[in-house]
Amino acid sequence: MTAGAAAASRPVPARPGRWPAAGRLLRLELRHNAMLWLLPVAAALFWLTTYRKVMAMPPLWNLRALAMQPGALLAFVWPVAGAAAWAGSREGRRHTTDLVAIAARPRWVRLLAAWAATTCWAMVGYLGCVAVLYGVTARQAAWGGPLWWPAAVAAASLPALSALGFAAGTLVPGRFTAPLAAVGAFFALALSTQLIHGSQSYWQISPVVSGPWDAGSDPGVATFYPYLPDLPIAQVMFLAGLTVAVLGALALPGGRGGTWLRRPAAAITAAGLLAAGTAVALAGTGRLDAHGMIVIPALHDAASDRPVSYTPVCSHTRVPVCLNPAYAGYLPATVAALTPVLTEVAGLPGAPARVSQAAATYRQGAGNSVSIGLAGPAISGSPPVFRLLLLDQLPGPTMTTSALSAALRSSAGPAIVGDVIGGGRSPSPAQRAVIAGLLIAAGQPVHGPPPGSPPAGREPRMAPPVLAPGSPVYAAARRLAALPASARHAWLLRHLAALRAGRVALAQLP
Amino acid sequence: MNVEITGLSRRFGRTMAVAGVDLRAGPGVFGLLGPNGAGKTSLLRMMATAIPPTSGRLRLLGRDPGSYGPRREIRRRLGYLPQSLGYYPGFTVAEFVEYFALLKEVPAARVPAAVAVAIERVELGGRAATKLRALSGGMLRRAGIAQAIVNEPELLLLDEPTAGLDPEQRVAFRALLRELGGRATVVVSTHLVEDVGAACAQVALMDQGKIVFHGTPGDLAVRGEGSSAGDAPLERGYSAVLAAARS
Repeated sequence: MTAGAAAASRPVPARPGRWPAAGRLLRLELRHNAMLWLLPVAAALFWLTTYRKVMAMPPLWNLRALAMQPGALLAFVWPVAGAAAWAGSREGRRHTTDLVAIAARPRWVRLLAAWAATTCWAMVGYLGCVAVLYGVTARQAAWGGPLWWPAAVAAASLPALSALGFAAGTLVPGRFTAPLAAVGAFFALALSTQLIHGSQSYWQISPVVSGPWDAGSDPGVATFYPYLPDLPIAQVMFLAGLTVAVLGALALPGGRGGTWLRRPAAAITAAGLLAAGTAVALAGTGRLDAHGMIVIPALHDAASDRPVSYTPVCSHTRVPVCLNPAYAGYLPATVAALTPVLTEVAGLPGAPARVSQAAATYRQGAGNSVSIGLAGPAISGSPPVFRLLLLDQLPGPTMTTSALSAALRSSAGPAIVGDVIGGGRSPSPAQRAVIAGLLIAAGQPVHGPPPGSPPAGREPRMAPPVLAPGSPVYAAARRLAALPASARHAWLLRHLAALRAGRVALAQLP
Repeated sequence: MNVEITGLSRRFGRTMAVAGVDLRAGPGVFGLLGPNGAGKTSLLRMMATAIPPTSGRLRLLGRDPGSYGPRREIRRRLGYLPQSLGYYPGFTVAEFVEYFALLKEVPAARVPAAVAVAIERVELGGRAATKLRALSGGMLRRAGIAQAIVNEPELLLLDEPTAGLDPEQRVAFRALLRELGGRATVVVSTHLVEDVGAACAQVALMDQGKIVFHGTPGDLAVRGEGSSAGDAPLERGYSAVLAAARS
């Protein structure tokens, strides 16, 4: 067993050392890290729980990025926490404590190398998943660009989860620590949102929160107004602080580590805790702004309140219908749904000369409820413009083209006609009959529930009139609808002013 | 002197594992004999700076391991093979030795060569790329010795290093011990008195936490003259010293 006795053995090739010691240590850890083997599992989970769901959404950058943040995080949380705990518990599980304890290199460096390897693999897997999702979205989206803050929040979560799992493994180095850490981290993250109460909740700091909690992944935000990074900044600050604090604390138990190491470690831990605590306090000062995002005054940039400039995509119809370019795919269905109604009112005083998509306005209600709608009158300006709120701008399940078209007819149609005829929310019998007559003429039934009713929570601003067949109003509406379009239009031109003023009786209708 | 121990004690709860040991050792191979529970492993762990002493004075390589800076210097020049070798089954022999070379702060540029030399010295050159989980018990022991010597230690502490080695490997290992003892202090804790006789210049015998004999293997053999317990002179000396210490 000496150098001279090794003739029979194949000599070990000794390549010159090109890597620095820390790099060599990290390379060794990377080769033997459990997260490497869990990457396929994490990717499969991401595909099952996040990718398929996000890809089923309309190709809007805001919608997909906001939905990806919590989805990706919940897909990666348990593999990362579990692998980190497994790495952290290695020395205890493998009974190498004495061997490594007498090494000259500080314990902290050794532990950091193992943690860094876990985090590197987790980050590689996560960034790969994000690249695929964003890459596909880039090919599908009509307008806009990727939102990086939601991706950054999820990315910043991985080192924090890894550090927490690793610390758990270091403190309790048993073989059951890893599965317990994985399950515990998943439930802690998933349940952290249960304590959110309104837009001023400290619990918004949870990285699975990508916006007003009750609104969920909302397609209405970050299209007409810029994405506000206030909450993500606080979340990243919290996660970075948590990571630093936990990693700093790993150096503290080394009772014989020397004050030169313990003092900076204690300072790093304190700085991390301070950053994390500050971030939580900042999250508690948040409020829901009118554009559907959380504003944190101390982090807010007023320049972000200016609307995003864009060139709308418009139809070449008599009354142009214009949408935000992000919603360009909705234009044909929107035009098809609104043209019959617009044709009926075209040329009448106060009738819209243009339909233009507007931004939704958000208001925080009691608890976590958020009311979302259109602020101000639907028709305004000169020439009059009808401000349209697409139902797919509101939170809720994505609608098919036919469902969206039907919902538009039953919500925007009555709103357009109602605004031209007048009467507000309590129209006179004559106004109701004229509104119903015009809708019938446009091909929309006015008895029984209208087809394509919007989903719950997406109620239109003005519901279509529901008339009982055989009633005088219904009969008058049918008579008006039966008139030739030119005769109906001529009658309306003559009587619209009186009709709007409520001076036309039901019996006076043709 | 590379090892200077004065009145060293270590207590685990109510048990006094090491009770006031005095020991000095310079370069050469030093054998530490004793029955199970004599305190050999606890003494070696204190010398390896794995555990601090409860009381007494310990100086290693001319430094006080009680302070962080000197302790780190000692650890750079220290090799240790514990009685029960923990290892990472997924590591190859070369990776395992490289890992400890890096932890011992062997300069990065020298690590590949140091690893190769250490593996060759324990005759595992042909198994450098084999995962530790695939090695036999004897090969694992040799891999453990390789990690202990990878930093060319000035103080090498080996706890039962020949356990699991076959006779041929033990002979080769004794040769390695003699070679290492030419420039370093090698402390070998063992039950096997023939290892001590073949490789050690000095020997100490521990019983119940105390050193009951300190001298050369020849001195120990002389203590056994006239005794009938044991098949070899060293065994008879070992038994006689223990019997005298317990009487």
